[in-house]
Amino acid sequence: MIRSLSDFARLAKEKGPKKMAVLAPEDEEFMLAVKKSWELGYIEPVLIGNIKKIEAAAEKVAFDLSPFQKIAGYEHQGISDLGIRMLFSGEAPIAGKGQIPTSYIYRSIIREEAKAGSGMTVSVVSFWEVPGIDHLVAFTDTGVNIKPDLEAKGEIIKNAVFIYHLLGYPRPKIAVLSGQREVGGKLASYEDFEALQKAADAGDFGPCEITAATSFTDIFLGGRERRVDYGAINSEEMPHILLVPSLDTGNIICKLDFFLDVTRSSLVATSRGPVCIPARSDFSDNIVQQIAMSVVLADRMEKEVQ
Amino acid sequence: MLNSFKQIPAAAKQDGVKKLIVPCPCATDIPLLAEAAAAGLVIPILVGAGDSLEVLVNGSPLAAEKYELVEENDPQQVLGRAIAMVRSGEADILMQGGAAPHELLDALRDKEQGLLPKGGIVSFVSVFSLLKREKLILVTDTFINNNPTVVEKQKILENALQLGRILGIEAPKVAVLAAIEQVNPGIPSTLDAAILSKMGERRQFGKAIVEGPLDIDCALSQIAAGRKGLQSAVTGNVDIYLVPEIDTGHLLAEALVFFGKMQTAGMVMGTSRPVILNLPFVAAENRIVEIALACLACPKGGTNG
Repeated sequence: MIRSLSDFARLAKEKGPKKMAVLAPEDEEFMLAVKKSWELGYIEPVLIGNIKKIEAAAEKVAFDLSPFQKIAGYEHQGISDLGIRMLFSGEAPIAGKGQIPTSYIYRSIIREEAKAGSGMTVSVVSFWEVPGIDHLVAFTDTGVNIKPDLEAKGEIIKNAVFIYHLLGYPRPKIAVLSGQREVGGKLASYEDFEALQKAADAGDFGPCEITAATSFTDIFLGGRERRVDYGAINSEEMPHILLVPSLDTGNIICKLDFFLDVTRSSLVATSRGPVCIPARSDFSDNIVQQIAMSVVLADRMEKEVQ
Repeated sequence: MLNSFKQIPAAAKQDGVKKLIVPCPCATDIPLLAEAAAAGLVIPILVGAGDSLEVLVNGSPLAAEKYELVEENDPQQVLGRAIAMVRSGEADILMQGGAAPHELLDALRDKEQGLLPKGGIVSFVSVFSLLKREKLILVTDTFINNNPTVVEKQKILENALQLGRILGIEAPKVAVLAAIEQVNPGIPSTLDAAILSKMGERRQFGKAIVEGPLDIDCALSQIAAGRKGLQSAVTGNVDIYLVPEIDTGHLLAEALVFFGKMQTAGMVMGTSRPVILNLPFVAAENRIVEIALACLACPKGGTNG
């Protein structure tokens, strides 16, 4: 069972190097992450994009690209399509993005999933490693669906449950988050919680459980004194997966790692393998962590398929 | 400028004692009211059935302080009576006490008998104390409005700016949050943020610098913003965070408390007199800060104490 980001780092060394289609690594910080990941034995990069820009970024971080395959591509969608096609054709078990807006990557994935007839919805899972919590906590969907409806939320849950099964959790616990409180009537996000809980109980999402908690107050104080006590914050009942009601909520909360003592690591799980999608503001160490996670998941997905 | 929670009660005392009225006080309110009275912040006025009030006060630490009782034996009238006393100037501040939060909000918004000026909006501002440096930040709306329109967001921001002024923040830096920092017609929060930001540019929010849309990484970190090619005086030093809707606002406030262990206090804004709620994510020790904030928010020269 994988409990921490350091588990990913350890396992990535064991399972790597894996071929990674790297899309537009034209930024110094991202190229540095590719270099570190190669040196750590996680990946063997295939570099796709504007070769001149790629070489310039590599030079800045003293990274010798001569051993690696390079594929020329000149505009965002073209580069993205090339890399994601490599993932779906089985040429590379992982894809990762550099300086390309994520929307292009999502578009490529959606097209390839449609071609493959997988029926898989594209969603992003952002893990948090939180001191004092003995498992990774995943916010989802933090990247694709702006305001998912009930059906889309069901698909987003299935994707996250699939990932947790791969991480070794046979029956992950899920909280469907909502801003529901004692005023303002019933929120749409809370109505979705009620429907999703019924669907989970009926087995619609496979082995998993949707808890009664829909807020952090419920999660941290559930069933006890309904007032925060900083000396006794209890995270024992922290679910594994936190389904966010919208992209605004998900993105704003999951990136609180810029502020709080938590570490974030995100990815997209497609039907053919993980896509590493660091934010344009992430730093190299954080990107390396995300690459390690993709390597381990790719390895486990390969075994699952076999 | 007030930078920490401990400065707030000290500053509030300078303005003189205020009268704080509580409909049907809860048992947990009594030690808090005693503390606030002993600190010279307020004279509590308790409204409710006479015998039950006496049972609450007798033998409690409040018994040794100055307080007043208002007998109202009809439970349906207690809240209305308390609000009427605030309207008439007999009390300065309203505290939730035993009133159900939705009933309290409905009563505040009542056109004839409430405390909401015409055209105003009731909103909730959470004040957080930063962990790594002495600074207070405001997050709004974290409790009251579900899905505010851009017009309502304008008023919610004005309410927060008012609290900012009370804390002495002269030219507040405001981040209007959204999922991304680019204006994307497919993401409505980014459109509202862009409108508010343009209004700020045209000085419609006075000296405030209003930047939006901002994603949280750009709001929190100048370096992160720089890597996304965004230059702004706001990034990395935000005073007020305006959230798109309540799912985000409520969960964000809770996340800062439970994951971040950040101290928080809050206040209802937009009403003609300060109103204090009783929220589970405000720690018992910070409720005195909420009373002090309410004291600071009382109109100057209007003291009843």
